[in-house]
Amino acid sequence: MTKERRDKAQAFGLDRLTDEHLAQFERAITAMERHLQRLPRSVPPAQEPAHVYRAKGEAR
Amino acid sequence: MSGDLAYLGLAEAAELIRAKKLSPVEYASALLARIERYDGKYNAFIALTPERALSAARVAEGEIAAGRWRGPFHGMPYALKDIIDVEGIATTAHSKILIDNIARRHAGVTERLEAAGGVLLGKLSTHEFAIGGPSFDLPWPPARNPWNRDHFCGGSSSGSGAGLAAGFFPAALGTDTGGSIRNPASMCGITGMKPTYGRVSRRGVAPLAFSLDHIGPMTRTVRDNALMLQVIAGHDPGDPGSADEPVPDYGAMLSQGVRGLRIGVIRHFYTKDVAGDPEQVTALDAAINLLAEAGAETRDITLPALQDFSACGQIILAAEAYAVHEQWLQERPQDYGARARERLLAGATLRAVDYLQAVRWRLALRDSVAASFANIDLAITASSMDPACRIDDDAALAANYWRQARMPFNVTGQPGLVIPAGFSKGGLPLSLQLVGHPFGEAMLYRVAQFYEDATGWTNRHPPELSD
Repeated sequence: MTKERRDKAQAFGLDRLTDEHLAQFERAITAMERHLQRLPRSVPPAQEPAHVYRAKGEAR
Repeated sequence: MSGDLAYLGLAEAAELIRAKKLSPVEYASALLARIERYDGKYNAFIALTPERALSAARVAEGEIAAGRWRGPFHGMPYALKDIIDVEGIATTAHSKILIDNIARRHAGVTERLEAAGGVLLGKLSTHEFAIGGPSFDLPWPPARNPWNRDHFCGGSSSGSGAGLAAGFFPAALGTDTGGSIRNPASMCGITGMKPTYGRVSRRGVAPLAFSLDHIGPMTRTVRDNALMLQVIAGHDPGDPGSADEPVPDYGAMLSQGVRGLRIGVIRHFYTKDVAGDPEQVTALDAAINLLAEAGAETRDITLPALQDFSACGQIILAAEAYAVHEQWLQERPQDYGARARERLLAGATLRAVDYLQAVRWRLALRDSVAASFANIDLAITASSMDPACRIDDDAALAANYWRQARMPFNVTGQPGLVIPAGFSKGGLPLSLQLVGHPFGEAMLYRVAQFYEDATGWTNRHPPELSD
């Protein structure tokens, strides 16, 4: 399990995590997966995200 | 020092200073002495700036004596959460990572407070990078709750809440990405406003999540809060999220009462989505009844489930925060405290599409809430579901992150004002949250002022601080 965790972390450039940090990494990902399960996936194609790029001028 | 000065409100102090009945130098000196005496047990401050404070107080006193009174903040002591830049002073974010990070210029809000003649007393404790706390593995200890120092004082603007409750200063700034102004307001029995997104400049404030971050005033009373927001609100071209909207007079409606107002009650947040503590629910019921008896029309409204806002907000927060912290987490993971490291690592494996779906969902949630607000002037709901837990209760501290109704309004960007709503049997503060239309802060202050006057909760202060 520790090797699996370490390989997963290293894939994201996190190659300095200790065993304690890796356990935290695993818990953090598990917690985030619960949020991701609620994320709607069947969004209408034209529905925009909350941020819209503007070529000129500041956001309001 | 005189207890009168410790709990003097901003509005009262401003009148006394203007009338030359209170010296800014004496006021700042008295508060600094109180902080020196008591803060060793409450840890509200990371850094005190007494010489700077007394110098600013002397300047203010001279200007006022010469007839150049700048306004209610002139000569007023205040303090800043230590993620807000002050030129020449370290902004540490309560982290070893930034322990030597001297700010090169003021944040936008610091510029405004300094221009108004404020007297900075120092920089305040926060959860590390406004996300991980309370923690005992950082260069500075966590702030403690003045109502009971064995209990959590909320966060992440923990020093702001603790210092106000302790009578260390009349005004402070906090920041709020998922509730970090409103949580310490709830736990410490003070008043905290998360303004509309874009109302207050974020320039010069260490980001947690760019699209969810808000800066706002924390005070003991509603009137003081309105006065401080008046100073810091306004457009700043240096903040790409800043809104170019007119700034109203936030005190204009304070005496207008609630008769005829239409107040939505978001009851399902604290009775169905999450079951609030019975004492907290009773306090909310009492507040709703009080408003109705005073002539407000109250009716339940239904928003999407609290868990939907939480999921949407947490995905966005994790992704944006990871963008800020990726390099440090890769190179210096050992320099974070355990709580911040764990929460920040949540963003490591998120896919681009997850983030984008979440920000698309965000607009749908915002529109759904706007539809529910179409026929009301404001809404009332819970902030925290529970009074402050013990600071050593890890399970309760973890639950604190989801047993709350604050994230919905970081997601929508609407203003949320938390005020005291009584006390638990154990003597800890209870609270309520008022939620407005975008840029509707003045309406929240109107209702909050009525409630504050009717209940007098803000007149109560923690038992005498112990040495």
